[in-house]
Amino acid sequence: MINLPPNDHDFNAWLDDRLPPTDRQRLDAWLGQNPDQARRLRAQLHDAQQLRAAMSGALTPPPNPVLDPTAIRQQLHQRRRQSLARAAGLAVAVALGSLGGWQLRGWQSVTPAPMGDALQAYRLFAQQGMLPADLQVADRGTLQGWLDRWFSAAQRLPDLRQAGFEPVAARLLSTEQGAAAMVVYQNADGQKVSFYIRPPGPNHKMLPPGSRQDGELQAAYWSGPGFNYAVVSPAGPMAQTVLNQLHSSF
Amino acid sequence: MNDFDEQLREILPRLRRFALSLTREQSSADDLVQATLERALTRLESKRPEGDLRAWLFAILYRRFVDQHRSARRYTRMLELFGRGREDDVQPSTERSVLAQHSLGAFERLSGEQRALLLAVSVEGLSYKEVAMMFDVPIGTVMSRLSRARQALRDLSEGEVTKPRLRILK
Repeated sequence: MINLPPNDHDFNAWLDDRLPPTDRQRLDAWLGQNPDQARRLRAQLHDAQQLRAAMSGALTPPPNPVLDPTAIRQQLHQRRRQSLARAAGLAVAVALGSLGGWQLRGWQSVTPAPMGDALQAYRLFAQQGMLPADLQVADRGTLQGWLDRWFSAAQRLPDLRQAGFEPVAARLLSTEQGAAAMVVYQNADGQKVSFYIRPPGPNHKMLPPGSRQDGELQAAYWSGPGFNYAVVSPAGPMAQTVLNQLHSSF
Repeated sequence: MNDFDEQLREILPRLRRFALSLTREQSSADDLVQATLERALTRLESKRPEGDLRAWLFAILYRRFVDQHRSARRYTRMLELFGRGREDDVQPSTERSVLAQHSLGAFERLSGEQRALLLAVSVEGLSYKEVAMMFDVPIGTVMSRLSRARQALRDLSEGEVTKPRLRILK
């Protein structure tokens, strides 16, 4: 039972014909005594009828086949397939990264020497070309920007131009200590030098600066702000030139 | 699944009409309907509440419209900062507006929310409870907004008869 005077709900329900019969009679009687409100409601009732009439016929747009549920399902299906394909592409890339990382892990466990992973990464990436580069550029600034995205607080890329080397490619790797990155430098003769960077690992094992030869490769290593670093190059006189340049670059 | 598609097909003309009353322009109305159906078809299993399918679709469509409108207004404000564009740019011109062409001039000048309210209640006959869910407000709020929308439509209709439409001169 509605209370009088009526409220918004009662007026609306009267206009929309949603009042129970007894309430409707009660409100009709009240409107009989309140001609202003009655006039207002009748005008609003007229507006609603006009609206329904105008909407019913006029606003029927021509059919649009794009909006058919079957068409939309197909579209959704196709889009899902495309994103699945994209995701699969990404998964392949990740798997390659972890494969590299897994191999590095294995080698690392039999190579207790410091930064053995840097040497293995060099062999895998720079010598054998087994891993594709994430980034290949001729521009030093782009490589530095790329490196900053992953290792923002790290040392700058060493400048080895005096030794004839320019950075050309970079690759992210996963190691036991966390994500590592390797930037490959190349000289005019196609010889390669790598700059390797990775976290020190859970024990925060920092390295005293050092250098060692491992087979045909020479590695220099040290610890800097937040990370361990290594520069790997073919052993021999060139390695010395690179090392000298490296020291003067920092 | 096909049963559901059949239900969607039945509601489609109403959904398009609702979208049209909001956007006032056919192609963006159909874009809105398409986005709504996509959402309905992807969320079907997990999110569809019990009750009237039409009310659920209207709610999705309206929320989407509000979101789009908000970003369109942000974009317009940004253009204004650069000395371009006006608030009017997000509204279709009178010539393009389908509503104005069908003696719905007064209705057209209501706010989007008021148009949605009147269409849902007066034309579609959705229950007050469904409309409250659609706007995500209590029923009491629906009632007072509905009263205001009805009065606004009344005032605009009277104005249309007694005086020429005022236009902003640029």
